[in-house]
Order: sequence, then structure tokens, then C-alpha cells
Amino acid sequence: MAQVTLNHVTKRYEDVVAVNDMNLEIRDGEFVCLVGPSGCGKSTTMEMVAGLTKPSEGNVHIGDVDVTTLPPKDRGVAMVFQNIALFPHMDVYDNISFGLRLRKFDKEEIDRRVDRASDIVQLEGMLDRMPDEMSGGQRQRVAIARAIVREPDVFLMDEPLANLDAKLRVHMRTELQRLHKELDTTIIYVTHDQAEAMTMSDRIAVLDAGELQQIDPPLVCYNEPENLFVAGFIGSPSMNFAEGELVANGFESEHFTVEFDPSQVPGASVGDRVTLGIRPEDVFTVDRVQNLSSATASIDATTDVLEPMGDEIFVYLVLGESAERSMEGETASSNQLLMSVNPDSDIQEDQDVEVVLDRSKVHLFDTASGQALAHGIEELPGPSAGTGPDAGTSAGTGAGEGTESPVTEAESDR
Amino acid sequence: MIDPLSRTLARTRWLHRRIRARVGRTDGGGSERSRREETERNAKSETEGQSSTDDRRPRPRPDGRETVRAVETDGWLARLRWSAGLQAAIFWVPPFVLMGWFVYGAIGWNFLISLTDWSGLGQPQYETFNLEMYARMLEDRSFVAAARNTVVLLIAFTGAALGIGLLLAILVDQGIRFENTFRTIYLLPMSLSFVVTAIFWAWMYNPETGMINVVLGGLGADALAMNWMSDPRTKLFSIILALTWQFSGYCMIVYLAGLRTIPDAHYEAARVDGASTVRMYWRVILPQLQAATTSAAIVLMVFSLKAFDFIFVMYGDTPGPSADILAVMMFREAFSRTNWAYGSAIAMVLFLLALAVIAPYIYMQYRRGEL
Repeated sequence: MAQVTLNHVTKRYEDVVAVNDMNLEIRDGEFVCLVGPSGCGKSTTMEMVAGLTKPSEGNVHIGDVDVTTLPPKDRGVAMVFQNIALFPHMDVYDNISFGLRLRKFDKEEIDRRVDRASDIVQLEGMLDRMPDEMSGGQRQRVAIARAIVREPDVFLMDEPLANLDAKLRVHMRTELQRLHKELDTTIIYVTHDQAEAMTMSDRIAVLDAGELQQIDPPLVCYNEPENLFVAGFIGSPSMNFAEGELVANGFESEHFTVEFDPSQVPGASVGDRVTLGIRPEDVFTVDRVQNLSSATASIDATTDVLEPMGDEIFVYLVLGESAERSMEGETASSNQLLMSVNPDSDIQEDQDVEVVLDRSKVHLFDTASGQALAHGIEELPGPSAGTGPDAGTSAGTGAGEGTESPVTEAESDR
Repeated sequence: MIDPLSRTLARTRWLHRRIRARVGRTDGGGSERSRREETERNAKSETEGQSSTDDRRPRPRPDGRETVRAVETDGWLARLRWSAGLQAAIFWVPPFVLMGWFVYGAIGWNFLISLTDWSGLGQPQYETFNLEMYARMLEDRSFVAAARNTVVLLIAFTGAALGIGLLLAILVDQGIRFENTFRTIYLLPMSLSFVVTAIFWAWMYNPETGMINVVLGGLGADALAMNWMSDPRTKLFSIILALTWQFSGYCMIVYLAGLRTIPDAHYEAARVDGASTVRMYWRVILPQLQAATTSAAIVLMVFSLKAFDFIFVMYGDTPGPSADILAVMMFREAFSRTNWAYGSAIAMVLFLLALAVIAPYIYMQYRRGEL
């Protein structure tokens, strides 16, 4: 087991900067997911940890050793690849034991380790099979066993479940969590699937354009995103955003206003351009707002498209009186709001509704820099500005402060 | 744990399954594709046959009776007339006749001649046939030398061209700059006529003015400069070197195509597992290039058996015992010395050698359903 540290690591390919000044510290035994869209530099980061790519600048430490210039075999890492990468001319036993045979382990030790690894990933009785005789899930297990058998300090997994079907992916996700619990080894896991990252990892490192945007536990990334990118990337469906201005009595956009005391937003002043973010599950119709502790003023909207998902319904709302129904273009997205409602809701398409936002779950971002300004806002003092019940107010916090309170409250609200 | 026998059996089963999967067979019959085509042909044939039969069905006679015999005759005639094979005759008969006469007929005739004692300017006598010419080969030191050289050329040239081709393919596959230019440069010799290649290699081997000796002299290695084309010790080597130069580019292309099908992750997995570059290629990459190796080796071996033009241009019909090969000896015996029967017998040996090289490959292709 070992901790992995990246100090000011940069990787350039001619005129392209794949990873830019990355500083990352992954603790011993931690399961960290590197997430981000395609081309964000997550695989390059992993390759630099593995030793398959040399950083242009900076250094990589595994444990106390500077491994920047060491070849992959001397770094104490094992890797599981996206396309599994089993050698097609070798049977399962040979595939799993390949690394050990190269290191000239004696036969008994190889057999013992292969037995243990195949036992962990439940491959007993399949050691004499060839890779093309196995299902996708079984092959993935072989790939994992090939990594386990090396007893590495760090496991590196580069989108190992990406080629599996949805059902198998969910199953293998659980298997990997079980494996981590059993081995208690540092795991760095690359994925573009934020659901995988949310469910499996101790911490998520969100990357964009080669830069680390945030590294925090999954729920912190979800509830307190540090910037617009993280807010939009983490969560499915994505967070709603509305551009507007910080005014004397709160936030004002083209289609709605949210009243609050702007002094509670650190780092911003009246007149600044800010972006309000709210997740679909934090938007409510006024008739379902009874349990909400701090609702905003009601917003007029018309339902557009409904997407029943079984356990919930996604409702696309068009804001404003002259609601444009187009789903395309910038104008369309700025006047849209996505809301999640219970599956037993009788909401219909093209229905006029009034919606409110949960103040404690409202996020404010600086539009220019994208940095978070506040997570959760308090009501204006005095008579209630919202249509919701006035029972209590949420704790307004600056970005990165008061993490627990809004989360707990929001969960109890729902 | 698994014993070696089980693993060998598993590997055999896997290979068998791979072959069957590629052939697409589920039983011992023809391939799925050929079965499907057969079914379609039959369906088409039946449909068309049926309609034609319907058209030709004897009309009821005024007295209400039909001619049963006429129906039966019409049936097989119609089937024959409308059979796919007959319809396609215009396409397959001419090449069949031409190939049959000029290739297989000629081979058969050649075999007949090899059983006679035909020589000189007379006509062959087809009265008595014997294996005298084949027995004569065994006692002929020229034949033994030519056969030995042929085998040496086959093995050394094939091995060298494959090895250098693989090396070039690996180098070109490293994502180097000007990759396409290098690929073209290496492949270019293959586009040259063997006569041209033979002539300029003969120039390069010239002991006085040839580039090889001049370069060796320039490097201060005069001791290595020699009469490459005349010295019995270097004659065959000179031929192998020149042929290898010409064919390595071809091997490079075949291997490069194979290398491009191997995912990068296989290289990376081997490196993370601790394989050195040499071990990675030897244990992980090369086994996956088996198909490329087989197909390139077949082409090279068949060519080496008939490398007549190259040696003939370099040495004429008498290269001497250290460079003589069966193809040149066949020409010399038949057309220079008019030993037609002996030349034919040598030709039959060459034919059998070529067959021995290519037959396993053709059989393998047949098993895969690629024929």
C-alpha cells in the first residue's frame, strides 16, 4: 500500500497541454476516481502514474519514492485497461501469471497467488479457458486478477467497465467495491461516468482541460461544487443554470428573481454577474412545497416535455410568459428549467405551473470565473419573500463552508 | 491447479474453435456462407425452374389427358437448363479449359516426358516409361548441390526477409516522423523488376568498382573486400542478400498490417507487468502475428523456389555448384543441353517442392472456408 502524490505535473504533446500543473495527493488505501469529459487528461494522468508516459514537468511519488523516471515495472503498480487487454494466445492461467513469470517467481508461489486471485474474483475452474471463450464480465475479472496477483502498492484502473453492458457494469461496480474493501489497497480509477465515481470512490477528482477542478468526497462534490464545471458535470441530469445579476434584494435573471441579502455572498457585490445553479430535485411545484423549509418566490412556468424514468419524472419547464418551446439554442436553454417530480404526480405536458426553488440548495457562481460564491442562501429578514411556508430558514453559507447543514436539511426536506 | 496436459488440450480446443468460428461452421459440412448461398441458389433455381416448368407444363389435351412422360422429361431438362452451373458456363468454361490445357495439361505432359529418355532434337518416344531420370538425379552431384542450395536459399532467404521485415515494421510502427516516406522507401525495391535488381546488385558486387568493396575500402576494412559473385564461399550469400533486400519491404508491409491490429493496451499491459521490450515482442506481440508470418513465409518460399530470373541474369545458366539452384539447373538441362526428360524430372521435383510448401496453406484456407 502507498500514497500517490503528483507535484506540479504537466504533460505537453507538441502544442497541446494534456495535463496542466496537476497537484494531487491520494492517500494510502484510498479509492479515488478521476472523472471528467473525454480529453480532460484523466487517462494521461493515470499513464504518468503508471510510467507509461513521462511528465513534461513535475514529479510523481509513490510512497516515499520519486518514481518519475522509473519504468512501469519498478513502480509497484498494476493496471486494468479499458479494453481489458488480455493476451488472446494465452489461457486464463497464463494471462494472470504473466507478470509473475516475467519476474521469475517460483512455480509454487505463482500457483498460490493465481489461486488466491482467481478465488477473489471468482474465477475458479476457468483457468484453462482462453479469453475468447469467456463473457465480457469474466474477461474483466481475469484482467483484475492479473492485477491482483502482482500484489501491487497501487491499482490503476482505466475505465475498466466502459466496454461492459449496463447491467454487468452495475454488478462489476459492486465487485470492485468489495475488492477494495478486501484488499484495502490504493486504487486510482479513471472514468467519464460520474455515476461510477459517485458510487465507488472515497474521493472524486474532477478534471477539465487538463486541470484539477476539485477533489473531494462524492457528496461534497455534489452538494458543494467548487465551480460551474463541477456543478454541471457531477449529477445526472445536470444542474440547472440561470445567468443573472446580483441586485440589492438578491438575484435577478431574465425570467425570475430570488430574494436574499446579497451581503451573505462572499466575494461578490451588487451589480456583479452571477450564475444561479439549482439541481432538478430542488425545484418544486408550489402544491408540493409543504415540507420545504425555505422556498423562494414562485416562478411562472409551463411544462414542456415529460420524461418518466420510473422512479421519478423529469419535467422540462419553460419560464416566462412568452415561453419559447425550442429545445435548441442559447436562448432556449436560458429560459428552461429541469424539475424532478414523484412518479405519482399528475403533472401534464403544456400545463401552466408555479414552481419554487429550495433556498438551501441554491448555488451561486461568479459568471466570469465560474468559481462558487455560495451554497444555500438565507431569506431576506422580515416578511417572507417566498410562497412556501416560513417554518425556519436554511443556513446560508459561503462556498466551502457549512457543508453538513444544508445537505442534511435538504435530505430531510425531501 | 491446472496440469500442462489440460492446458494443452484447452489450447487445442481454443484453436479448433477459432478456426470453426472463422469458417462459421457448426457441423462437418460446408461453411455457413456456402450453405446459405447453396440454399439461395436452390431456392432461385427451384423458383425459376418451377416457373419454367409451369410455362412448359403440357396443356391438357382436348380429351382431358396429360402426357406424363413429357412432364418428367421436361423436368430434368428444365432443371439442367436452368441450373446455376450451366447458366454460368460462359464464365467458367473458358478459363477452365485454358487452365486445364496450358497449366495442368502441361504439368501432366511434363510428367510424361520425365518418364521417357527424351534428349536431343528428336521427338519423345511414348512407348516405354520408367523412373530412370529420377534415379539419375540421386547420382548426379550437380543435382544434389542444386537441391541443397535451393533448400538453403529457401530457408535463409525466407528467414532473413521475415526477420528484417519484422524489424522494419516494428521501427516504422513506433509513430516516427515521415512514417509514410519510410514505408515507401522500404517497399520500393519490391516494385523493381528482378532483372533490374540483379543487374545493379551485380554492379555493386563488382570486385573492382562495386560499391560494396569501395565502401569497405573506405571504412578501412579492405580485408573484408572480396569477389562476392565469384568466390564460392560468398556466391549464395550474395544472392540471398540481394533477394532479402528486395523482399524485406513486402514483409514489412505484411507485418505492419498485423501490428496495427494489436491494441496499444497489449503493449502497455506487458510493460506494466514487467516485460522488457524484447520480451514484450517475443511473448506477447509475435504470437499475435502468426497469420502475417504464415502468409508472408508462403510467398517468400514459393518465390525462392523459382528465383530463376535473378540468378540467370547474374550468372547465366551455369552459376556453378555453389550458387546453382534447381530452377536454373532445370533450364540448363532442358534448353542448353537438350536433356528434355532430365529437365522435366527436375521440374517435377520443383513442382512437388512448391506443392509441399503451399499445400498446407491451401488446406488451412480450405478449412477456414476461404477457398
